[in-house]
Amino acid sequence: MLFWSLMALAAVAASWRVFRPYAAPPPGLRALGARDHAFVSAASEAMFPAGGALPPGGESVPGYVDDFVAERPAQLRLLMRLLFFLCEHATIVFPAPGGGGRRRFTRLPVAARASYLQGWGESRLAARRLVFTSLRAILTLAYLGDPAVLGELGLAPMAIDTPVCPADLLWPRAGRTREEIAYGPEDVTVPGAGSPLGPDS
Amino acid sequence: MSGGMNGAVRIFADYTGDVHERADVVVVGSGPGGAVVAHGLAAAGHDVILVEEGPPFTPDDFELDGARSMARTLREGGLRATRGYMLSTMQAIALGGGSLVNSAICVRSPQETLDGWCSDFALERTTRADLDPHYDAVEKFLGIEPTPDDVQGDRNLLFRDGCNALGYSSEPIARNVRGCRGSGECFTGCRARAKQSMDISYVPAAIAAGARVLTSVQVQQVTTAGRRATGVAGQVARPFTGELSHRVRIEAKVVVLAAGCMATPVLLQRSGGLANASGQAGENLQFHPGVAIMGVFPERTHPEFGATQGYQSLQFIPEGFKLETLWAPPGVFAVRLPGIGTELKQRLAEIPYCAVWDAIASCNRSLGRVRARRRGMDPALHWRFDPQDVQILKRALQVLAELLFAAGARKILPGVGRLPEEMHSLDEAEALRRHDLRADDLTCGGNHAFSSTRMHGDPHRGVVGEDGRCHDLDNLYVADTGILPRSPAVNPMLTCMALAHRVAAGIAERI
Repeated sequence: MLFWSLMALAAVAASWRVFRPYAAPPPGLRALGARDHAFVSAASEAMFPAGGALPPGGESVPGYVDDFVAERPAQLRLLMRLLFFLCEHATIVFPAPGGGGRRRFTRLPVAARASYLQGWGESRLAARRLVFTSLRAILTLAYLGDPAVLGELGLAPMAIDTPVCPADLLWPRAGRTREEIAYGPEDVTVPGAGSPLGPDS
Repeated sequence: MSGGMNGAVRIFADYTGDVHERADVVVVGSGPGGAVVAHGLAAAGHDVILVEEGPPFTPDDFELDGARSMARTLREGGLRATRGYMLSTMQAIALGGGSLVNSAICVRSPQETLDGWCSDFALERTTRADLDPHYDAVEKFLGIEPTPDDVQGDRNLLFRDGCNALGYSSEPIARNVRGCRGSGECFTGCRARAKQSMDISYVPAAIAAGARVLTSVQVQQVTTAGRRATGVAGQVARPFTGELSHRVRIEAKVVVLAAGCMATPVLLQRSGGLANASGQAGENLQFHPGVAIMGVFPERTHPEFGATQGYQSLQFIPEGFKLETLWAPPGVFAVRLPGIGTELKQRLAEIPYCAVWDAIASCNRSLGRVRARRRGMDPALHWRFDPQDVQILKRALQVLAELLFAAGARKILPGVGRLPEEMHSLDEAEALRRHDLRADDLTCGGNHAFSSTRMHGDPHRGVVGEDGRCHDLDNLYVADTGILPRSPAVNPMLTCMALAHRVAAGIAERI
């Protein structure tokens, strides 16, 4: 009887942990749910905290990740959301250091989140390191997808005059109609005629 | 059913119903293999239809953000990977295939490598002397030249300096580029229109010679009658979503598959296990696994300027690896940087001071396979990393570390598991030599897939012969990197195009 009571309690606790609602995400998300959005925001805060050389991972990261996930095939979308789910709840198995380390990832203080993620990155288990590498890759792509961060690094896209080559008369932009071909024969220019680009150009 | 073609190029918006066409030759895939074949046969006066699943891109379509670019130009959103050992691998879905988003590296395979192919794969006409006329023709057509110094940028020239300091050979990389401005944007599409990717070189030339091009068509089956291929069948595929609609059927006297070494075997399997009496179709999948080390220099290197990959060293080809310089969109480039929090941010802040150099390895013991998935045309990939091949990369990592310090790096980030994230001297880099390196310690890129429909003189041991014709069928050819019998020791695009040039010449003679 005691055993079944404990099992029931554990089931209730697990359900509460998984299904306890998250804050409503901003409107207009294409792929992420409330839990995904909360997780990505929390992970971004731990991965790119305030202070140091560059701006903190701000609001742009979850939005970018939403686009990133939405633009991948369905199977990969599912896998990425499972990755977020796993990292959100694996604190049960790999708790963050300090008290309350088994709480959901999104409910941990920033420092504990960082320590928890670092534990994945330094794990002796290759599969665990791989999970961390995948998560960090997604977040880093998003962080450096922010024009403000790129600008801070001096790596913002440069302006380039794009010549019109004969092939540009054959088709329109990808997915557009033939009527939208932008150029005629009179527009064709000499390709690659510009001078080399460099820090002084 | 539509009648003739509305112009030489069909785009997605042109398809208003099912399509049924006839031609002398249908070529599946518009990458470096298929584009060369289509041009060669059209120029020889044959009626050619070139079919491509992806759309044509214009510079306005290029996304400068790495992840967004990958989502648009690469299959499976750029996240395709092998099972077994997880190796990421990229295949393009665009008119021009991989040439739209690769670094345009064109290197002839060394004579010794091709001699090895001949002796080990019962080939009689694939020596360097046999292929040189085909290399010549492709190089002349595309204007392939070594990268000039004025567009190298600091990170490429530092590589040269490092090689000079250590007495290693190095040279500017020859590329299919005319008028490079050193924008470092090869991976996301060349806005300067300097890269002679197939969509602005061989494909327009094929069209000018009379070829017709059907873009946004996914070929799903090769149709046959006895020992003869009769054409291909498939469906119109919407750009970027892949949503399938109208049916497409093309009848042809000759079918050439150049869909890439992942898609071609899937197509053969989807066609009832075609061309597989040898049991080799979809087997022997190989890559050039690549490792890279980032060096941080005392002064800004302005890595965003300069040819994406401008310098190389062939010094270590006999040991199984080739060294190159490397650049990519910052986000893509940075995903391998170690650390977390302010430490990671500090490393990101060092990108403007960095140079990244990589090694690609000939891993002829590490083989994989390509299988059709239960649904769709994407492949299921499995690949195993042989421990002996891992040791090639171990040696390559040591050389890369030496080079970076010889060029003046103040620290390096080797990116190897179970080793320090940063090394500040050659003494510290000794750890790379002492390390009991395992495959799991590496974060490898799966560059240059090939050999999944390999060429072999013995019909029992390979899928195609030296002319690219499938041993089992009279008029079905393969002209992509799948026919390479094993590693070409260097970047495979030029050799693929040379072989495709030969395939086209052979078909022209036969029909």
